[in-house]
Amino acid sequence: MGNALTTRMLIAWLLSGFITFAHAEIVVSHERSGDLIWMDRTGQTVDRQKICNRPRGMALLSQAQRLFVACSDDNMILEIELNTRNLVRQFSDIPGPMSLALFADGERLLVSNEGFASASVIDLRTGEILARVPTGFEPDGVAISESTGHFFVASETNGLVHVFDTRNYREVALIQTNLRPRRLALDEARGELWVSSEMGSRVEIFALQSFEKIDEVIFAPRGFRSEQLTPVDILLPTEGAHAYVALGSANNIVVINRVTREILDYVRVGRRAWGLAQSVDGKLLYVLNGLSDDMTIIDLDTNRPIRTVRTGLVPHAVMVITQ
Amino acid sequence: MKRLTFALFYVLWMLSSPAHATTFEVVIIQSTALEDQSEGLSFAGIPTHPRRPVRRAAELALLESKPTFSAQDISTQLSILDIDPTTPLDSQLIDLSPQQLIILDVPTSMIASIISALANRNLIVANVRHTDTELRDNNCQPHVFHTIPSDRMYFDALSQFLIYRGWRKVLVVRGPKAIDLRRTEALLTSLEKFGASVVDVREFTLSHHPDDRDQNMPEFLTGGASYDVVAVIDSDRDYGRYIQYSTRQARPVVGDVGLTPRAWHPALERYGAPQLNQRYTDLVGGHSEMLGMTDAEFATWAAIKFVTNTLHRRHLNSNVIDLNAIFRDPEGRVDLYKGTRGSFRLWNQQLRQPILLAAESAVIAVAPMPKFLHPAHYVDTLGIDAPESDCKLQQ
Repeated sequence: MGNALTTRMLIAWLLSGFITFAHAEIVVSHERSGDLIWMDRTGQTVDRQKICNRPRGMALLSQAQRLFVACSDDNMILEIELNTRNLVRQFSDIPGPMSLALFADGERLLVSNEGFASASVIDLRTGEILARVPTGFEPDGVAISESTGHFFVASETNGLVHVFDTRNYREVALIQTNLRPRRLALDEARGELWVSSEMGSRVEIFALQSFEKIDEVIFAPRGFRSEQLTPVDILLPTEGAHAYVALGSANNIVVINRVTREILDYVRVGRRAWGLAQSVDGKLLYVLNGLSDDMTIIDLDTNRPIRTVRTGLVPHAVMVITQ
Repeated sequence: MKRLTFALFYVLWMLSSPAHATTFEVVIIQSTALEDQSEGLSFAGIPTHPRRPVRRAAELALLESKPTFSAQDISTQLSILDIDPTTPLDSQLIDLSPQQLIILDVPTSMIASIISALANRNLIVANVRHTDTELRDNNCQPHVFHTIPSDRMYFDALSQFLIYRGWRKVLVVRGPKAIDLRRTEALLTSLEKFGASVVDVREFTLSHHPDDRDQNMPEFLTGGASYDVVAVIDSDRDYGRYIQYSTRQARPVVGDVGLTPRAWHPALERYGAPQLNQRYTDLVGGHSEMLGMTDAEFATWAAIKFVTNTLHRRHLNSNVIDLNAIFRDPEGRVDLYKGTRGSFRLWNQQLRQPILLAAESAVIAVAPMPKFLHPAHYVDTLGIDAPESDCKLQQ
């Protein structure tokens, strides 16, 4: 009775239109607790929202103020309006969605179908599947290069990055990588594709034009053996001379000079660091720690961790909301 | 429906094989006639430890490898050589060639003769079944690679776990068979290596005769001693099943029952393992998810995936895959879905790998346990190490 009354009052209040939603700058998806946590830039929780089973990859369409979330165990993708955080649309029958990327036209979404050895392209206006392309097993990381008109899907099991044409969805090339390629990051200005090899304990760099391997970065944080270095997320900020890689079970992130590929610093974080994002002003790095259920916030001026905040269960991806 | 579509997708993909320049051939050697069909079953037909032919694990590995091989214009072929024990061995093995990866899944009674029959022929043989440490030590052979862990790897993992937990006083209970005795020796060596103390070693009997009650009643068998944990060696998993919840003192049971060291377990939920388990379930027809791959199946899968993961242009000589170069490549590696990549210890050709410590429906720990450190390799605290052994196959 009391509850019903409170709910009714709350609804009335919501409908009154006076409510202003507290501003969130970052959002974290959680595989195990099935929720999104919205936080301000300091990691303070603004809102927590139960959303679906095993939400993982996310993509942000800032011009439309929309967030897309891959619900892996529900075979669907949710579209959320950023200001109200309301669910506005649901794309069903997308098998095992894992990672997401938006095409530059803002009208198409690329999805890796993890358990189904394929990737899908969804028309965001109609909800129609424009293409479903076969990949190797366990496709994870995706990336879209507007400068070359290609999109990329990494197959973890097969050590392959599949390259497709963004217009006709035909496979144009196959890139062989080291063990278990996970995430892809593009440096369009330098014409580079960075690939993290989780079981090969390195990041490989390929030329966007020729798909030839240019270089690789091998890590050596103190106190860890090579086999314990399991890199996942790579962050190549659009501005700046640095690259950041989360080293997984080695509980560190690494700061790399993007031009010389020299390792500049290691920063100790929580257990099994994998998700990465940078604050809008470029001053903070957010690191998700998948085994310790928390997020480390690093000051990028000093490369020191300044705060660790608790998250939900098994945080997967962190996204910074640009207005 | 979802799974059906998926299965169909696989089948179509398997069938859509264009002509390839190179073929990767896998041959499983087994001997159905020599297998004890009651193995893994206790009295009254109660299943205790499943043993299956490893063929499906080989199929799974080849299926997973297809996109990688296709990218290199390689097709695959799997065949089975079922040994007839009534005809001479050599003539049955005559067609094997160095271009074939040989998966050896024969029972103990045949292992020695077949290993020696396959020697000096430049073959690559993967032992996926036999855990006897001797095969990696004094009896190591240059043509045999072991993807199944040794007894010492299993028991080192278990011993590390006991020390890590602070369960240092161990009561060992063992079966009467020769294999139980051999494995008990391995357990005792492991316990000693990591500093556990063995309170006593006691032998059980299956006989219900009242004269034997000190040996057949778990309460008596585990009485009159002070211990933190009971370690059971019962290769048949027969008597051992009755020890849990019947120990004289309320103590955990580990070894062949209770918390068990395993190369693979279907309850592993990290490191991509659920994906691998799902593919296995899809392939075998998904009603028995919790059974998952046996250790021998996992070892078969790993031997084939080692080729897939290591293969490089430099291993191809005029369209022939040089398996010797692959298995002896210091850069050789395999993604084991256990959090750490696998590679061979070149000196005895044992696949280094983490060992899971599993209860019925959960993986409790993955060894090596924290703070057990080896000077060279993260997982080399598990199993005999080069300085302890006279086996020196490769440097």
